[in-house]
Amino acid sequence: MITRRCFLARGLRDSTLIALAPTLPGFLARTAHAAGPEQDGRILVVVQLDGINTVVPFRDEGYAKYRKTLRLPEKRLIPVNGEVSLHPAMRDAGKLLESGRLAIVPGVGYPNPSRSHFRSMAIWQSARLDERDHTGLGWVGRGFDEGPPTRDGSPAALLIGPDDPPSAIRGRRSVSAALDRLDDYALIDKEAESRPIGSSSAGDDLGQFLRRSLLDAFTTADRLKALGDARGDAAYPEFELARRLKLTARLIKAGMGTRVYYLEQGGYDTHGTQLPHHAPLLEELSRSLRAFLDDLAAARLADRVLVLVFSEFGRRVAENGSKGTDHGTAGPVLLAGPRVRPGLHGAYPSLTDLVDDDLKVTVDFRRVYATVLKNWLGLASTEALGGAFDPLPLLHG
Amino acid sequence: MRLLTVRPRSGDPWAPYVPDEEMPWNLRRVVHLHRRAGFAATWEELQRDLKDGPEASINRLLEGKSRSCGIPADFAAFADRLADRALAAPDSSRLKAWWVYRMLFGPDPLTERLTLMWHGHFATSNGKVNNVALMRRQNETLRSLCRAPFGSLLRAMLRDPALLIWLDAPDNIRGQPNENLARELMELFTLGSGPYSEDDVKQAARALTGWRFVGDEVRLIPSRHDQGTTTILGRTAAFDSDGLAALLLDHPATSRRLAWRLCHEFFGEGAVDERAVEALAGGLRAHDLDIGWGIATMLRSRLFFDVANLGRRIASPIDYVVGTVRALEMFDPAPSTPVLAEWCRGLGQDLFYPPNVGGWPGGRSWITTRSAIGRTNFAAAVVDGSHVGLGTSFDPIELAAHHGQGRNPSFFAQLLLGADGPEVPLDALGPSRQALVRLLSSPDAQRI
Repeated sequence: MITRRCFLARGLRDSTLIALAPTLPGFLARTAHAAGPEQDGRILVVVQLDGINTVVPFRDEGYAKYRKTLRLPEKRLIPVNGEVSLHPAMRDAGKLLESGRLAIVPGVGYPNPSRSHFRSMAIWQSARLDERDHTGLGWVGRGFDEGPPTRDGSPAALLIGPDDPPSAIRGRRSVSAALDRLDDYALIDKEAESRPIGSSSAGDDLGQFLRRSLLDAFTTADRLKALGDARGDAAYPEFELARRLKLTARLIKAGMGTRVYYLEQGGYDTHGTQLPHHAPLLEELSRSLRAFLDDLAAARLADRVLVLVFSEFGRRVAENGSKGTDHGTAGPVLLAGPRVRPGLHGAYPSLTDLVDDDLKVTVDFRRVYATVLKNWLGLASTEALGGAFDPLPLLHG
Repeated sequence: MRLLTVRPRSGDPWAPYVPDEEMPWNLRRVVHLHRRAGFAATWEELQRDLKDGPEASINRLLEGKSRSCGIPADFAAFADRLADRALAAPDSSRLKAWWVYRMLFGPDPLTERLTLMWHGHFATSNGKVNNVALMRRQNETLRSLCRAPFGSLLRAMLRDPALLIWLDAPDNIRGQPNENLARELMELFTLGSGPYSEDDVKQAARALTGWRFVGDEVRLIPSRHDQGTTTILGRTAAFDSDGLAALLLDHPATSRRLAWRLCHEFFGEGAVDERAVEALAGGLRAHDLDIGWGIATMLRSRLFFDVANLGRRIASPIDYVVGTVRALEMFDPAPSTPVLAEWCRGLGQDLFYPPNVGGWPGGRSWITTRSAIGRTNFAAAVVDGSHVGLGTSFDPIELAAHHGQGRNPSFFAQLLLGADGPEVPLDALGPSRQALVRLLSSPDAQRI
């Protein structure tokens, strides 16, 4: 069997690129030391849901009281601690928890919550409470406005999916983009790979930059192709979210300089017949996440990756008349990856001490953002979040 | 490595170019002129300009008469029909195709380039405006005022519906100011960052309050406008939009920012120094910020044709895509303009959708992993024809023979780069196509 490393090494040897490498110190250093991705640079993967009902405070007396038809049988729940459990469809999230790779922050929200999808999502994406500050820029994009550009010129933040980049990753100066398929990284001309690039007569700085960039790009294309061709790639379940996470993993493995990948999973707005609709979504989420983290672990890249899962609000505590739930306020945020401090962080908001029939917000969402911006990505967070927010102790040193 | 020695310059940095032994008028400089000021040129146009000399060539570009072939007889009417159809749909990809059509087939490439420059200066995205008609209207305004005194353009933009939506102007109301437009007006459109304070932004926002949509028109609603006295940049008055514009136009920082903008558009890395920018700013101030004067001064200058400016710019996706099609004379049948616009989007320049209010950063940022692969793919696609909407492949031998260059393997390097290599052998079709793809995807072909 040909390993990926062999495949790539052979591909390079066969090509005339290698002959030009001596003029290209950066390229040479990279390929000489690893025919794989760079090992530095932390990456954040954000999974945005639209509404969630995931973490179950089964011991709270309010649970049985408010969830008459939607109550989940206790024996099927996946325990987090003595008070709180995960939905039965989240077996794989339970495995992540067992292996120390899942942290749950309950009661996350913001003051005076809006129950409008549009407004609430705008608040979460912009990290600004005032509607007049919703100008199409977001917390990730603003965070990168003050950070250095990426090593290889890739966009700092990338939406993985068919839509346009959401405002969360748009900055005033930083670059975001969207990617749905790898076609953009495949050379359509089969001969391009073995094409000499060094025909330039200009030995100036710009010429060197261009040669190095084109070689880097071809090397990335080479790696992605090798990753795509490789058999025994980690197994992902047959879900759309899994497909997007697999694509994300490939880009990370290929050494792309992008630092934030943003993914969306829809369908959570379960106003009616919640039970049969909600379970498959949570199964998709937890199985996809686990496959992604296992895939990265096998590639020895997991330590560089943190996943943040959020939604713009939780659900109303009392179920509605359609066996569903309406828009609520505080909801849980999940963080996944080997560098999280696992388990439940803080008490679950009480189901019997409500504000306007909704959970009390116990954690400002901007503290979660501050945690990932400062403690994970190493970016300044005050400008990005429109104020100073203390990070939470969610990550290992 | 060859080291360039920049001659110490005294006197006017914008002294006109007169060919001499050190800086001869040669094919390299003709190609340079057309790639920088237009979107490349055909062999016939290059040869004509080589023969006629710089003055006639530059004048033709300035007058919108540089193109001798490939302009359809009914260009203007057909272009309008394309835009009308984009509006009727409404379909932003057709609007992009309309603009690409104008750049590719219109008689006046310099005007299209300047329109594109202003699209980057007053960068407005249909992603937020979401109105094809208003985006077209802005584009026509930019085009019609692209060489006017900057004040006309600025005042038009401060009433431009698309720009005002983009920068939340309708939300800027007396007592509830929204600073978005005021901030970008100062930082990006006029002064540049530095010469103003946060308080100036706040006060400028007050001066800009009260503009509101009535149908598709923008009107000043007196009851929403803050008529109070404000102090902006040390001047106290009851400013309104025009008063604020006049104040900003008068500020020397605006002339410097405009000089920077023009140099940024027409010069390569390190090809102009501070002194030249400052001198151009001074000239603009003396000419009522007349952009046409600035463009003519730059294009006629010795500095523009200096070795330090030749090939020292990264071709933008538009430069690369439109310039290639233009130089290869792929006019009839022509590649699909919606597909060309889509290629430009894939390469990082999505017309009517700049990445943010700062516009496309340009320069080296054009080259990313994705765009480098994309450019290589475009080179293969345009020669093959099928991925640009053509039923037939490009025939390099035929084009060379048509110009009596059938035995000149340097023909394509001369046409595209103004250089003698790399060669494209013209003996057999297959290898000549492959060599042309190689040339188009070479590092040299990414610079203009």
